[in-house]
Formats: sequence, structure tokens, C-alpha cells
Amino acid sequence: MSQTFHIPGQPITAYVQRIEIKKLREGSNLILGFSIGGGIDQDPGQNPFSEDKTDKGIYVTRVTPGGPAEDAGLIMGDKIMQVNGWDMTMVTHDQARKKLTKKSEDVVRLLVTRKSLEDAVRKSM
Amino acid sequence: MWNSAIYPDIADGMSNQRDSDIQKKIDHEIRMRDGACKLLAACSQRDQALEASKSLLTCNTRIMAYMSELQRMKEAQVMQRVARRSSDAGPMDDRHPCKAKVAISDLRIPLMWKDTEYFKNKGELHRCAVFCLLQLGGQSFDTDMVMVDRTLTDICFENTIVFEEVSPGFELRVELYSSSWEDGGSAGSTPRKLASKLSSSLGRSAGKRMRAAMEPGGNSPTSHGGGTTLLLPVPSVPGPKYHLLAHTTLTLTHVQDSFRTHDLSITANEECSFWLPLYGSVCCRLAAQPHCMTQQMMSGQLRVKLGGDPQGWTDIYGVLKGTKLFCYHKQDDKEASVDPAVTIGINKETRIRAAEKDPHSKAQSICISNQYGGEEVTHTLSTDSREDTQRWMEAFWQQFYDMSQWKQCCDDLMKIDLPSPRKPALISPKQGSLYHEMVIDTSDDISTVTDILTRRMHDSDLRSRLEQATPTPVWLSLFEEDCSPPTTPIPSHYQKPPVPRPCSSPRSPARASPRCGGRLSSLASLTSESDSPCSTSPCSRHGWTPEPPAAPPSFRPRTLSLDAKLSSLRVRGYSAGLQCACQTPAAVTSGSPHRAPALAGLSCSSTSSTSSSSSEGSGGPDSDLPFSRPGAAGRSARNLRSKLDPRNWLQSQV
Repeated sequence: MSQTFHIPGQPITAYVQRIEIKKLREGSNLILGFSIGGGIDQDPGQNPFSEDKTDKGIYVTRVTPGGPAEDAGLIMGDKIMQVNGWDMTMVTHDQARKKLTKKSEDVVRLLVTRKSLEDAVRKSM
Repeated sequence: MWNSAIYPDIADGMSNQRDSDIQKKIDHEIRMRDGACKLLAACSQRDQALEASKSLLTCNTRIMAYMSELQRMKEAQVMQRVARRSSDAGPMDDRHPCKAKVAISDLRIPLMWKDTEYFKNKGELHRCAVFCLLQLGGQSFDTDMVMVDRTLTDICFENTIVFEEVSPGFELRVELYSSSWEDGGSAGSTPRKLASKLSSSLGRSAGKRMRAAMEPGGNSPTSHGGGTTLLLPVPSVPGPKYHLLAHTTLTLTHVQDSFRTHDLSITANEECSFWLPLYGSVCCRLAAQPHCMTQQMMSGQLRVKLGGDPQGWTDIYGVLKGTKLFCYHKQDDKEASVDPAVTIGINKETRIRAAEKDPHSKAQSICISNQYGGEEVTHTLSTDSREDTQRWMEAFWQQFYDMSQWKQCCDDLMKIDLPSPRKPALISPKQGSLYHEMVIDTSDDISTVTDILTRRMHDSDLRSRLEQATPTPVWLSLFEEDCSPPTTPIPSHYQKPPVPRPCSSPRSPARASPRCGGRLSSLASLTSESDSPCSTSPCSRHGWTPEPPAAPPSFRPRTLSLDAKLSSLRVRGYSAGLQCACQTPAAVTSGSPHRAPALAGLSCSSTSSTSSSSSEGSGGPDSDLPFSRPGAAGRSARNLRSKLDPRNWLQSQV
């Protein structure tokens, strides 16, 4: 996010990174190997990763070492903006979880943003 | 390129071959259509009828597409013959761009129900069967059929449709067909029994007439040379009919390696029975893989000047593929997947020119210049003969031309996933309303996911432990130690009806203390907690050191089913992350006992039965902890992890 706070109703702009995660099949389960936190139904003040404490977006709270998410380059603290085209900036926690755990999909394509990415792009400009 | 002026006979032969190919396809589709008609007439189940009707529509579309292609080809042949007669040399064959594979996937069409419709639970559910028909060139594909009613927010088609051999000027027509569920065939709204009786009786007398109409014998395109007689869709076939609801056309400008939203043109209105309130857009992923990016366009022996040595030519085997020219030491290296010696980028910014004739060699050199950062890097290639140089230049020109035609598709290779072959589709369970769904799917059970991940972590952890004594994730200790979580007190707690007794209120005054932080205050809060009657999460005194996300579940009043699941979780002693559909009213539950390390073992509230022991334990927790605390780095990580207490902030594992 280019500001430290977001004005509700205004469009969000961010530098994003594309991350493609191939789900790992273990028996009849497909797992991605990370945990998410946040959502419009959650308390954004508890989010340790967000800069703006009113940000109700979906954040990556943990990446399982050696899991598919880590291999794909997902980092703890990333904010997930989109999952396979579905918006993640204004969803409930459960809606976000559902979009990630669709059994019919083997691959999830995420758009994530992180502070270090912002800084890197700014520096190079 | 065949110049038909020079090789007239062969060109004719080729087109005859193409003709017969199309003819075969048409015949195949006609047979499919017959089958669909017969199935429609025979089936009694509504969804079978819908599927058969969909196949019928697809077959008809394909037949019409092939017929028109046949017609076009015949016209082209006539034109060519005319041109040959009039002038000797036709125009030089223009350069043709390479073909591509185009895939469309993840089609999603949002719906726009009125709030009143969306939330009402009474009344009949107006359902429609919808599917998408995708046409490109002469190819037509249909997606699977989806049942739509007012509980859905979007129509999602899971299929990935791939079109082969597409040229850059393609037009992909997307059509959304819909059929009202209640619209059951020619009988309209007749009850099902009557409808089936009608269809079976039709089969005997009137069916004969219809079958005659369906027979291809009289109307075969082969009997009519020019294919001018188009086979019209079979009239008055009993069964559900699909109507066009919306359409759009996608072209090269819409191709992108991500999801995009496009506008839909809606061709029906609210009066129709098959109407659905579409939002007016369609979201999908349209990707294209031109052959110039996926296939080897040119290869051969080359010599390249490497390094600064003006006289140093190195023999390499060059392969032009995508945006790069790979230079391998030997031809076998490519098969052996050995890294090439040099990789030269060939993209829109590259400049290639034939250099002045080298006085030392007979052939011309080719100079390839690229801009890397601010610098210009030039590679010089040389071949053994002029013909080779010419062929390579031609290949480069063709590559540039392809890139100019396929534009954004040549920046990077777009991935096209072919869906993994799954078992034939299970009927998806009736989707509940998004707003009413609060079910935890058994297969999403937190324990199964935890099982898998803990097993993996445990394995990797054992390995790392053998190497060095690194601090292990705290909760793994549960799997080693023989800690017996107090099973008896827990179920009894949760067997109690989940009356939302003010568990929160007696706690909130107690909660005030942890907020100021400090060990003593937490101690105070814990002892007061133990007095509260509806305290919850029991923990084993020894091994339960719940560092988040290993913290115990929260203690809010919940529905019985969730309680049962949670208690079973605790009995098994799992603690990695929590997955629940309930809200986390953080304000109520937060009392995060300040995570002073020494009291980590007791951050959960204790049952009244073990209250005394817990206050004892708080005195000397360090000795209980099964691992040693790391230094400052560990402390900051611990702080982070403490902030990730699921009682404060819900986290889910995916």
C-alpha cells in the first residue's frame, strides 16, 4: 500500500508479486502449507504484520517450512490481494479460506504484496 | 510456402484432403447429434434431458461451423483457379505468423440478485441450467452444465478449454446458454409423469415422422456439392431447450497471463423464463502459447565470438526458441539438458543485422545487439555458408514477425494447465447460501491437515535434531512425552449446554490486569480465572506449552457440534492452528495473558479442579519446560508468535 493508511472507498494500489502454488496431494487432501489470518469479520488490530492497523485484509501468518507455499516464494507477512482472480481485500476469513481450499483446483495463483517489495520498487525508480 | 501458381495439381490435391477431413468431421457430428436426439426422446430424468439437449446444441453448432468452413474453402478454390487463369504470378506469399495454442479457463460470471430474493428462504427456488459455448475458428467446445439458483453469487465453470492452431487475428466467441429448470420440453409445465407418457407415446407414432426428419439420408451435404443446403437444427425435439442469455467476443487484446474481467452483452430480458440477473461481466483467464515460444523454430551449427578475443570463434549448436537463442557446445547437450554455453536474448528490443563480409571467411556474420541495463551487448555469429546465414536471418525475421503479431504473448511464456484427469464428476452437493453456511466440512478437518503437516515437520525435525540441538517447535513435545491431557474433566465441561453464561463478564475485570503486563499481574489473573465457573481449555501441566499457533482454542460459548470437534481435538492433543467458522469477538475473548515466557505454560485458563496445581506450576515453570530458551533472536520470534495467538486473531491453515 502506498500510504500507511487506506481511506475506505478509495481504490487500493499496490505493487504485487505473482505467486503460483501447486497444491500438495496427501491422500485425499490438497494442502498449500501456510496459514492465513485476517478478514473483514476479524479484528484488524491484532494483525502483527499490517502497517495500517485498520487493514482487514488477508495476511500470511505462517509458512510451513518445505511446503508448497515456501517453494513458491510465499513469505510470512505477505498480504494476499487475489486468489485465482478472486479478490481477497474485502472478504471474511472463511470466504478466504474457502477460495484457497477448493478441491477442484490443483494450482492457486496469488497476487501478494509486501512492504519489502514496495521499498525495492521505490528504490529502483 | 506453396505457391499454387507453380504447383496447381498438388494444391488441388491438398485441398481435397482438407475437404474430406471436414466431411468426416461433419459426419461424425451428425452421428453424435442423432444419438443426442434419441437420448432426449428416451430419457425421463430432467438433468439427463438437459445434458442431452446441451450436446445437441453443441453438435448443431459444430455442424454449422464445419459447413461454413467447407463453403469458404470451396470458394477459395474457385477464386484461386480464377486467379491462375488471369495472371501468371500471383502476389508473393506474405509472411504468415505462427500459430498458437489458446486456452480459456476459470470462467466466472457474477450474478446480481436483489437482496430480497437472495435472503428469502421460502418460496420456490427458481433454477436454471446454464453452460457456456466457446467457439474459435471452426472449433466449438461446451463447458459442463451448472445449476444456478438464487443461492449462488457467481456462475463458475471449472473447465479449461484449449484451442489448437489459432492465428493471431482470432475471435473467441463466448456464449452463455440458459434453460429454466421448470421448462420441461414441449409439454411445458406438465407434471413429469404425463411428460414421460407423452414422450414414450411419441416414440411410436409421431416419432416415426420425427425420425424421418432427423435422418441424414436426404439432406446429406455430400449429395449437394457446394454444401449450400445447411442442415437446420432438428425441429420440435421434445425436451428442454437452451436459449442464448449473453455473449461476448474475446481477441488477442484480451489475452493476459492473469485473470481479467470482460463485458458481456445480454440478449435476453427479464420476461423470459430462462432469465438470470447477470451483473454484466465475465471474468476469466485467457492465455496463449504461440508456437514461436514453445517450439524450436530453428537450429543448426554456428560459430560465435565469445569474450573479447577478436579472432576467437567457438563452434556451438544454436537453438532458437521463444525469446532466446541457446548456444550449446554440442548438439547432444540439448537432449542431455546441459546448460548452454551462451544464451542470447531475442526479443522486441533486439537488433539483428548482417555484418560486413569478414575478410577472413567467405560467409557473412550476423550481429545481435541487446540492451542490458544501460549497456549494449553485441554477439557475433557466423555460419559455414551463405545459405545458412540466409536461413538464420530468415528465421530471425520470422521470429520478429511472430512477436509483432502475437504481441504480449511473447513477453513471457504463459502457462496453460491442463486439468489433471479426475474421476468422473461427482454430483456436487447442493450449494448452501453463502450467508447461511456455517458448516465445517469433514474433509477440511483441522486434524487431518495437522496430521499431514506435523508428520512432515516431525520427520524433518527428527533429522535436524540428529544434526544439531535446535530448539524445536514447542508443541512437538506433545508427541514425544507421555502427557495425558485430562480427558475426564473436558468432555464433562462441554457436555454442558452451551448456555452463553457470562463467561466473559467475570473475566473482564480479571482481564484488566494482564493488560498492564508483567508476570505478577498475569499470575493474579490466572488465579482469579480459576475461580470462574465456566473456565475452559484444560491443559496438561507438563507438555502443553502453547506457543502460537499452538495456543489452545478459545473458550467462548459455541454450538454443540463445534464443541464436540474441539474437544476431540484437544483429546488428541493437537494444537496447530485453529479452523472454525465462528466469529472471534476479539474484544470479548482477548484477554491475552501477557506472554511472559515463564508463564507460557499456563497462558490458558485452567479448570477449577486443577486450579491449585496451576498456581503452583506458575511458581516454577522453567523446570517444566522441555526445551531451553534461545537468545534474543528467539525472543523476538516469540514475541511475534505470541501476537499470533489465535484467541485474539483467528488463523486458518490451508
